[in-house]
Amino acid sequence: MNKSIIVSVGVAILLIGGAIAYTSNTACVGNSCSASPSQNNQKIENVKIVGERQIIEIAVKGGYIPRKTIAKTGIPTILRMKTNGTFDCSSSLMIPQLNYRKILSSSGVEDIEISASKATGVLRGLCSMGMYNFEVDFE
Amino acid sequence: MFEYIRSWKFTSFKKEKYMIMESKTYKFFVHGMHCASCILVIEEILKEVPEVREVKANLHARTVEITGKWEKNPSELAELFTSFVEKNGYTLSLEKEEKEKKWNEFIFAFPIAAALIIGFIFLQKLGLVNVISGGEVGYGAAFLIGLVASVSSCLAVVGGLALSLSAQYAKGGAGWRPQVLFHGGRLIGFFILGGIIGFLGSSFHMGQTGSVLLGGLVAAIMLVLGVNLLDVFHGIKRFQFTMPKAIGKRIMKERVIVNGITPFVVGAVTFFLPCGFTQSMQLYALSTGDFVRGAFIMLVFALGTLPVLSALSFSSVNIQEKSWSGIFFKTAGIVVIALACFNIINILVVTGIINPVFNF
Repeated sequence: MNKSIIVSVGVAILLIGGAIAYTSNTACVGNSCSASPSQNNQKIENVKIVGERQIIEIAVKGGYIPRKTIAKTGIPTILRMKTNGTFDCSSSLMIPQLNYRKILSSSGVEDIEISASKATGVLRGLCSMGMYNFEVDFE
Repeated sequence: MFEYIRSWKFTSFKKEKYMIMESKTYKFFVHGMHCASCILVIEEILKEVPEVREVKANLHARTVEITGKWEKNPSELAELFTSFVEKNGYTLSLEKEEKEKKWNEFIFAFPIAAALIIGFIFLQKLGLVNVISGGEVGYGAAFLIGLVASVSSCLAVVGGLALSLSAQYAKGGAGWRPQVLFHGGRLIGFFILGGIIGFLGSSFHMGQTGSVLLGGLVAAIMLVLGVNLLDVFHGIKRFQFTMPKAIGKRIMKERVIVNGITPFVVGAVTFFLPCGFTQSMQLYALSTGDFVRGAFIMLVFALGTLPVLSALSFSSVNIQEKSWSGIFFKTAGIVVIALACFNIINILVVTGIINPVFNF
């Protein structure tokens, strides 16, 4: 072991860490990525109230968009997952809190019912390999 | 430095008469002997050398003991035997192989590995999935999906496995055969299994536990192979995946490369590896309800993944002879270990042990 190896390892770790941090803090919609996810999420109006229920729409392709949704707590909710030519991992959806696990069809709409009692706190969904995820905050 | 053991092959009354015919056992150190199959290769080849009575290779000590009658001195013999096994990547010498770990190779290996890993991370952010449009899946689309899959996160699982296995085989001195078998196994496996799910109209998706276990197993194999490739810790060689010597020996006799069937089976089993693209394609294949259509869709998908996967595995063929092979193996080792860690973290996320770490 000598100095140059330590330097080389250090530089490598820093670069990889930087790349992971950079990619984790950017949100992508289509081909354009933005460095500030919060701004991006506000632009997408994905929660609507229809009658007594709220419907949360999430686009499924190369990840879940938006990644973070703020919704009302304590009312019956439908999580509407929309796929469009989705063949990547995000189509293999898991929501552990709901015991939900399904491979969505490559193009279509999948409604997931969430009862009023379960629409509390933070609901997290992820793809079966774990590198895409989204969360819904019921506030 | 050499040691030899005199073994008297003749009874005492004949001894005086046949003094010059005595057999000697010579011990040589073998450079390039890394795996259990190397023992078989070396023994089989050296047995064919004229005048050789007995060959016994020892993986742990990295030595070979050769019994026979020669009028040459030991260093001439080392040269003679080397000429027979040289093409397989081995050299015999009287000196113990200098166990230089070549730490300096890490100076190059780390930045190259870092560049590759960063490349992988940014590849995930390119939005490549958007080249796949919705609607009907034809063979063209299936090929395109395969291409995209091969540079997506599936690269971490299937690509990592292909790279670690092929680099491991290359290190053992094997040529292009195991890689061809691996890819052949993958293509044929996808064709047949795709046809079966198309015919049955139901898939063999494993439940959460099954896929976590399989994913964990692959990650563990990659971790061990990755550490092996670094060539730093010699103890871990004991965990190597090799065939029992008896089976290997029989295959060797039939002039088939050692471990012939293993890469083929591993290639076919990649059908079941956790990869979102593969699972979606399987879902599509079973929705066709037809053996032929299901089989061809999965075959075309596998063909789409072939360019990138074969580039990964054939990169290591014949690299053993190159002067920079040490850097190559160390780089491959670091990349494979990083991908294994990526897979392990993802498994922990999926099982709910930790919160999501990556979000590509």
